[in-house]
Amino acid sequence: MSGLTEQGAAVVPTAAARTKGLRKVYRGTVAVDNVDLVVPTGAVLGMLGPNGSGKTTTIRMLLGLVTPTAGEVELLGQRMPDGAALALPQVGALVEGPGFYPFLSGRENLLRFAAAEPLLASSDIPGAVGAALERVGLSGAAGRRFRGYSLGMKQRLGLAAALLVPRQFVVLDEPTNGLDPAGTREIRTIIADLHAAGTTVLVSSHLLAEVEATCTHVAVLNQGTVVAQGELSSLLEAGSANLLVSTPEVTLAVDALREQRVPARAVPEGVRVDLTATTAPAVVEVLVRAGVPVHEVRRQRTGLEDLFARLTEDTSTAELNDLDTLVTEDAR
Amino acid sequence: MTAQAAELVGGTDTLVVRRAPLGRVLRSELRMVLRRPRTLVGLGLLGLVPVVMGIGIAIATASGETGEGDAMAALVMGNGMLLPIFALSVAVVMLLPLTGAMLAADALAGESSHGTLRGMLMAPVGRGRLLAVKAFGVASVTLLAVVLMAVTGMITGVLLLGGDGMLTASGTSLPFGEALGRVAITVVYVALQVWALAAVALAVSAFTDHPLIVVVVTLGLVIVSGVLSAIPALDWIDPVLVTTSWEAVGEIVRDPISWSPLIDGALRAACYMLIGGSIAYSRMLTRDG
Repeated sequence: MSGLTEQGAAVVPTAAARTKGLRKVYRGTVAVDNVDLVVPTGAVLGMLGPNGSGKTTTIRMLLGLVTPTAGEVELLGQRMPDGAALALPQVGALVEGPGFYPFLSGRENLLRFAAAEPLLASSDIPGAVGAALERVGLSGAAGRRFRGYSLGMKQRLGLAAALLVPRQFVVLDEPTNGLDPAGTREIRTIIADLHAAGTTVLVSSHLLAEVEATCTHVAVLNQGTVVAQGELSSLLEAGSANLLVSTPEVTLAVDALREQRVPARAVPEGVRVDLTATTAPAVVEVLVRAGVPVHEVRRQRTGLEDLFARLTEDTSTAELNDLDTLVTEDAR
Repeated sequence: MTAQAAELVGGTDTLVVRRAPLGRVLRSELRMVLRRPRTLVGLGLLGLVPVVMGIGIAIATASGETGEGDAMAALVMGNGMLLPIFALSVAVVMLLPLTGAMLAADALAGESSHGTLRGMLMAPVGRGRLLAVKAFGVASVTLLAVVLMAVTGMITGVLLLGGDGMLTASGTSLPFGEALGRVAITVVYVALQVWALAAVALAVSAFTDHPLIVVVVTLGLVIVSGVLSAIPALDWIDPVLVTTSWEAVGEIVRDPISWSPLIDGALRAACYMLIGGSIAYSRMLTRDG
């Protein structure tokens, strides 16, 4: 129990979860290597990565389901997997697809998992199960057998199980798998609600727009290592910021801007203006003064997709150096 | 121990180890196992076994056939209270081990392949505790199966074959109350033997995600035991074989009971349970969820 004493020094965790030098080898295959992940308390961290990049393995080690080959995991201030009994009651998770009994109804399945929840008093179980079903929109199908559920309904039930108890930390592994657009929106709302309530959320997803829409922080995994992590805004801003102007008078616009020493060039969609040295209102003012009909102006960010592609597809040295700058800038 | 240490260090509510009440988790486990269609079908079929046997023996008796072969089968004619013991002595050889193996296979391997084991580990139900809960589920339902067979056996026996007492293999006659006691001894003894195999099955179940493997390995063990015990040159190995214990069921219908083979059988079952349980426990501690 000396481990617990050591943890006593860090009773208030600054990060909801933290890993250091995490490594997992499955029968000679390195699934995860040297992962240093930080999930700041209160953040919604999107974990991105191509298939097989180690997202789920990292999550499983975070939850103490798998023992790391090397490295440390801290969850809500507890060393995992030894501190599982202390940390996990505060953690709700949907990992690797929802696991339920096919022959039980949705409600019975939740009742079963609720019975194992340490933080639920026996008298509160029916209420908590009802509320969780309501929250994911499954009240109507609660009496049906899980076997007959659609993929989306199964996913919702998994989410309901993760939200049975108010949690400090919620882990959602590919939560929008199999959901229709409406379901995806609902998940987004649920994540936003959790965030508003101060819950830390870790979402792994391959849907980039998803992460961009819901997350405050991003960690990108590739080939078992974290290639970038930090606040979403700073990771995105790290790329050059552009303004895209739609106008029929492309030449006029470019000339007007260049006259004012604002870098601009014609692109198929209109005019792309570099915002490094100026601001959007200034650009619009220049264009309007020059009599350019402006149909639409929008800020063109690097976009998570570009970032993701850069981080995961190209691993040349130049790109890696680029990454270092990204990460350093973020740390500032 | 953990809870105390945590309280000393943290002193806050969040640092105290809290667990779901054990009774609640055990009830939930039983409810789940007893709602699994496979379990219900299995229990139903096992309950029917003594009924079918009783009907068969009643027909044979009515047509005046002399009991050939099994001495105990011959004894059951007109001796209803013996039917449950006879039925259990037959079922312990294959049907009940199969049931125990199936339950143990579903308990860990099956749940792991469904992802429900992961859900329990994340609740969290501690790993040792989870194994205890699973073992409890398997043990309760196998006991239920044995009791069910005894009950349907007694009802069928008394109704179809008659007899207000029990004629023992030693030729004496026991009053109804004592006959009931002999049935109870059989239930306990047979349940112990099934638990022994179920413990081995649970150990196998802790190593795999495929329930079928558990059933195959367990039945393989039963068959290999049977073959080994049939080879006279290998008599020295008999004391460790599961099948040796099953032969002792016949001792229960003697008057007076010779306890020594029954006690040996019970101890052998206890050894199997200890070994199976230990292996399952050590595997559960490191098993990937």
